[in-house]
Amino acid sequence: MIAVLALLAGVLLGIVFEPAVPPELVPYLPIAVVAALDAVFGGVRAKLDGIFDDKQFVVSFISNVLVSALIVYVGDQLGVGGQLSTGVVVVLGVRIFGNVAAIRRHLFRA
Amino acid sequence: MTDPVRPVVDGLAAVGMAPEGPPDPDGKTSGKRTYGPDFLTALFQNPLDPGYADAAARRAAEGPRTGPGRQIASASTAVTLLVIGFLLVVAYQKTVAEEPARTRARDTLITQIQNRRAETERLQARADGLSGEVAALRESELGGAAVAQLRDLEAITGVARVRGSGARVTLVDGPASVNAVTGERRTEAQVKDTDLQLAANALWQAGAEAVTINGQRLTATSRIRQAGEAILVDIRPVASPYQIDAIGPGDLAEDFREGYAGQFFDLLSSRFGISFEAAKAKDLTLEAATDLKLRSAEPSVAPTVAGSGGPGPDPSVTEGGR
Repeated sequence: MIAVLALLAGVLLGIVFEPAVPPELVPYLPIAVVAALDAVFGGVRAKLDGIFDDKQFVVSFISNVLVSALIVYVGDQLGVGGQLSTGVVVVLGVRIFGNVAAIRRHLFRA
Repeated sequence: MTDPVRPVVDGLAAVGMAPEGPPDPDGKTSGKRTYGPDFLTALFQNPLDPGYADAAARRAAEGPRTGPGRQIASASTAVTLLVIGFLLVVAYQKTVAEEPARTRARDTLITQIQNRRAETERLQARADGLSGEVAALRESELGGAAVAQLRDLEAITGVARVRGSGARVTLVDGPASVNAVTGERRTEAQVKDTDLQLAANALWQAGAEAVTINGQRLTATSRIRQAGEAILVDIRPVASPYQIDAIGPGDLAEDFREGYAGQFFDLLSSRFGISFEAAKAKDLTLEAATDLKLRSAEPSVAPTVAGSGGPGPDPSVTEGGR
C-alpha cells in the first residue's frame, strides 16, 4: 500500500515540477526506465513469492540503473553505444518478461 | 579454495548465475549458487534476482528484522518507488515533448516544398512565355528560309515539338514472381534500362527522326539508366508500361519488329513474360525535350555592323541551342 502511494507520489511530483532533463542525460533516460521497470517487476514478483526484501529491492534498483548507465556511457565512448544499449535492453527485457510471466501465474493461476 | 564448485554466498549482479542442481523456474533456491554453464539458459529460467531468495533464506535463519532497521528499510523502498515514478513521468514527458518538434519540422519542410513548387511553376510559365516571344521575334527578324532551316534543326535535335507518323513500341514488365521459400523477388521479368537502350538505338537505326520514352524526348545527350528498381530517362523516372514513340519512315514498326531488337524482345516475351508490341502509329505528337542545356555556343559569322537588319539575313546565322 505504501509502495503504491509512493509510486503515485513520484508520478505527481514529476507532473507538478516538470523537470528539465539536462541534454547530456537524455540518452540514459530510456535505459534507466527499462532498468527501473526490471527492478519494479522483480520486486512485485518477490512480494507475491513472499520473499520480498527492502534492502534487496533498493540495491537492485540503484545498481541496475548505475550499471546500465555505465554500460551505455562506455559504449558511447567506444562508439558502440547503440549496440550496448540493445544488449542492456535485451537482458533486462528478458528478465521483465520472465518476472511478468511469474506474476501472471500468481495472479491468474495460468 | 580447492573446491571446483565455489559457493557464492552474497552477490547482487546475479544475472548469469544458475542455481545448483536442476534450475528452479520460480527462483526459490537455496543461498548457494554457482556460475552456470549457460548465461542465456540461466537468464530465461530464473529471471528473478537470486538476491531475494538469499535474503529470504537469511531471514529464515536469523528471524525478521525488527525495530528502526525495519522502518529504514521500508522507507528506502518508498523513496525508491518515488524515484521510479518520477523517472517514468520524466521519460514520458520527454518523449511527448519531442514529438511536436518533429511534427513542426516536417510541417516547415512541407510548406517549403509547396512554396518552391509554386515558384517553379511560375518561373516555368514565364520561361514559356519568353520563349514564345523569342520565337516570334526570330521569325520577324529572320527570313522564311532561315526559320525553316532552324525549325528542321530544332526538330532533329529534340528542342521542338514534332508531329508525324511512325511507330509505337510498348514494353510491359512480366509478372513478378516471389520465391515462396526465401521471399526473394525475382526481377528477371522486369524491363531493364539496357532493354530500353536497345529499343531506342534500334529505332534510331531504323531511321527514326524523333523518339520519346513515356513522353520523354530523347536527344543526343539523353541517357537511360537504372537506379535501383527505377529506370531514369535523363533524370526523370519512367515506369512500366514503357511506351516508346518514334516518328520515322512508314515501315519503321515493321523494320523494328523484324530487326535484332524485335527478335530479342520476342525472346524475352516468350521466356520471361515481358509483353512486347510494335505497331504502326499515325499522327503522333512528340513533346520537346525539357531540360536541354546550352553547353557551348559561338557566332557562326563575325558580328556585323549594327543596323544590318536588311531584308536578306545571312542564312548561316543560327542559334547554338535554345
